[in-house]
Amino acid sequence: MRSKQLSAKRKLLSITLVAILVLSLCLMVVSSAAAQTDQAASKLAAANLAVGQAFNGVLGAEKAGANVTGLLVQLNVAEGFLAQAENSYRTGDSSAAAAQADSVLPVAQQITAAAQNAKQAAVASARNGFWETIAFTAVGLAAFVIALLFAWSRVRRNYIKNLLKAKPEVVNR
Amino acid sequence: MKLESYKFIFVAVGLIGVLLIASPAIAGAIHLPGGDAFSELYLLGPGQMAENYPSNIAVGANYSVYVNVGNHLGSSVYYVVYVKLANATDQLPNTSLGTPSPLLPLYEYRFSLPDGASQQSLVSFSVSSGAIQGSNSQISTLQINSQAFNVEKSAVWNSNSSKFAYQLFFELWLYNETTGSLEFNDRYVSLQLNLTRTQ
Repeated sequence: MRSKQLSAKRKLLSITLVAILVLSLCLMVVSSAAAQTDQAASKLAAANLAVGQAFNGVLGAEKAGANVTGLLVQLNVAEGFLAQAENSYRTGDSSAAAAQADSVLPVAQQITAAAQNAKQAAVASARNGFWETIAFTAVGLAAFVIALLFAWSRVRRNYIKNLLKAKPEVVNR
Repeated sequence: MKLESYKFIFVAVGLIGVLLIASPAIAGAIHLPGGDAFSELYLLGPGQMAENYPSNIAVGANYSVYVNVGNHLGSSVYYVVYVKLANATDQLPNTSLGTPSPLLPLYEYRFSLPDGASQQSLVSFSVSSGAIQGSNSQISTLQINSQAFNVEKSAVWNSNSSKFAYQLFFELWLYNETTGSLEFNDRYVSLQLNLTRTQ
């Protein structure tokens, strides 16, 4: 009788242990999946931010007068990776989404740096171009005004000369 | 001719000359307003013409359309096209209020375009899993550009139009560099689809 009770208790204990083990395993799997999803979401947010900053950099360079054709090609690559990551995330493939989001960052950072250099070069070039234009305009205007005044003095002198020649003279007879 | 007349000619020539010589500097300082700024969005059929758009669709068959976006906003723009699937009761974008559809996007693609440029993108899709039972139909999985999306969208038979009406629509969003976020551009194009048969 007592041995039967003991064996029943042992059984109950082992079932409880197995149940706890299974439950904890399930919790671990669920929490690991949730952590993976959270990680993918945060990587996507970082990739979105990086691509936004890269675009702002390219736009700034373009507004400064830089040729951004090459930068836009690179930007399209980063945006393509980001769209793939977002699509993978929507299909529930968090690990692929995280990997694709990771691949966006180096490209986006490279674009941001290149855009900054292009902007600086464009600003310097625009400044030089501005002063060159001002200098050429000033020299051109000065030369034109001097030429015009010279021409005017010649015309006036000739006019007066012709006027004096044409003056009627009184002749005594 | 009087001297005053010569003077007048010299002053006129002088003013015209000054304007001509200073025109590069003036052009750099004055910025004339541009024309209307807008983005264009339109769909073309599989033959890149405005015809043969997919309408009656069957489960397992492949369909394709070309989505075209043009940039006339005066500078480079970062665009996002969201692809969404709606049934007859789902809310579509409201162009008079400028609000997008509240439906979650299934698929997206992104690109940047310089001013004056346009981009044509091929979007192929197929219903990889769907069912028709009496007056009810359901699209369970939609494949867009080889990626499968779980949609679980149902439609009831519309006796007026004689179809199980679905809409695959494309919303145009663009990146606002000031706010650093994507904004709906108040433009969308849609494909009216009718699920006709399953395998």
